[in-house]
Amino acid sequence: MNHYLVFLEQRGGVVKQASLELWNMLQAYVARQEACVLSGLLLGAVNLQQLDGKLHGDGRIFYTNNPCFDGYNAEYDVRLIAETFTQQACTALFFADTVLSKELAPKLSIRLKASLLSGVPQFNQSGCDYGARRAVYSGAAFALLQPECAPKIYTVSSFPTFVANPSQGQREFIALDHNSPSLSGGLLAVASQLVMCQGAKDLTEADIIVAGGRGMGGADGFVLLERLAELLGGAVGASRPVVDEGWRPHSEQIGQTGKSVAPALYIACGISGSVQHLAGIGAAGTIVALNTDRHAPIFDVADYGIAGDVHFILSKLIDAVQDVLKRK
Amino acid sequence: MRLAVCLCQVPDTASVIGFVDGRVDLSRVNEVMNPYDEYALEEAVRCKERFVESVVTVFTVAPASAKEMLRKALAMGADHAVHVIDTPASDPLQTAQVLSQALTAFYKETLPDLIFCGKQSTDFQSAQVPSMLAELLGITAVTGITTLQFLAETLQVEREIEGGIESFELHTPALFSTEKGLNIPRKTSIKAVMEARKKTIEQLSFLPDDSPRVTITALQPFERKKQCRFLTDEKELVWFLHEEHALF
Repeated sequence: MNHYLVFLEQRGGVVKQASLELWNMLQAYVARQEACVLSGLLLGAVNLQQLDGKLHGDGRIFYTNNPCFDGYNAEYDVRLIAETFTQQACTALFFADTVLSKELAPKLSIRLKASLLSGVPQFNQSGCDYGARRAVYSGAAFALLQPECAPKIYTVSSFPTFVANPSQGQREFIALDHNSPSLSGGLLAVASQLVMCQGAKDLTEADIIVAGGRGMGGADGFVLLERLAELLGGAVGASRPVVDEGWRPHSEQIGQTGKSVAPALYIACGISGSVQHLAGIGAAGTIVALNTDRHAPIFDVADYGIAGDVHFILSKLIDAVQDVLKRK
Repeated sequence: MRLAVCLCQVPDTASVIGFVDGRVDLSRVNEVMNPYDEYALEEAVRCKERFVESVVTVFTVAPASAKEMLRKALAMGADHAVHVIDTPASDPLQTAQVLSQALTAFYKETLPDLIFCGKQSTDFQSAQVPSMLAELLGITAVTGITTLQFLAETLQVEREIEGGIESFELHTPALFSTEKGLNIPRKTSIKAVMEARKKTIEQLSFLPDDSPRVTITALQPFERKKQCRFLTDEKELVWFLHEEHALF
């Protein structure tokens, strides 16, 4: 029997949207297979009621409120994940592809002697046991990756929002033993502290991204982008030259040496569309390009384009969006 | 302070990855030091400049052609280079196993105080080797650091996470993987390049402990071209986004 374990990542008591979507996406695979069940694992002080109405399908969710997990310590997480995985005879472990999973998954692959496939996008119909396809070489190629041994670990990235009916199914919550032996002794000492930025929308989870490039002319040019992003309920992104110039922080950089994003709508403003930038938007849905140069490579990957002065276009675009929102 | 840096080679950003008869063609590719590894090396050299009697040693698991990259690392300020050649390492696990063996062979009983790796390679972007290596060596690791500070007894590092910043306080030995923003890697001077030629590159060979756990069964071209619909009116664009695609 296949038993999938999904790590439900939480930070500051809030379960990540990407983890919830991963759970819901995997329910669709589980439903198509015989003898396959899904379980979740949630570590740390979390109000379980926040999951009401957000999870789809049947399954057990293991959790612990052990104060060990109030702050993040990779070693605690790795030990309890490995212990739960083994005790529950799981066959595959799934993470949303995040900073935390990039740290935990490789460690777990060593401890569990598992095949690790990182940053794989949505699986195909046949399910995840048959490997995965992922962009490599800055998006110039796809690699077909094949796990060679069981168990398997996947960090799943950039999947489009999965539409599920969260109300269906039954979830059972099971508390893990607080005095688990895995939580004592031989711990590598790490004290951590987390400061969340208020109000800033995370790029990797944004449905709409308005990104600016060198064509914005300077840090001031981003006022328009912020305005449009705010209207659309999206986040602001930037290309590498913009970050190198210091107009925007590195946390907003999209591309090869920045973030890979998967918004439903990506609006590229004054971005020429270098290979390195395109590497970060391979999973974007509808792409809109606004650029002075009608022959800029960004138009080759865009669904809609307007050529012309980007500041002028943006001002008119903001007006047009406002008109539509008023009528709503 | 003993500092180790793990390096790898990647195609430079200007390289064209082509396909010939359905197979990936890397013949026109120019290999360079992985950009994230430059931050790792720069940080190690800065530590060396700060603490007297520090030694920086770079390690790479790569074909003989990586010698040029190691020369560059020596010119940037590394003292020794260990080149693991004739070693099959086809997945991140094998690479981490071989690096672990090389570090253990080089440092004998006592591991280095700090090990720096790039956050990920820019070609395959798996970001697995640093954490695997730390696990194999049994030391603390923090991935993707953007600051490193030396306090009285401990080290303080920060990294960006989704929607925030996380800081850690820890002791050596530790492994850090480095993110853009940590530092600005130095350019090498002609004098440094000349001096680097005098430094020795030690060659070693190892065998991975296990067979690969992940294989690449095929590389296929990624066709992303779309037919762009050029518009002239912003209102029309908003109509498509709002009415046709219901994106907001």
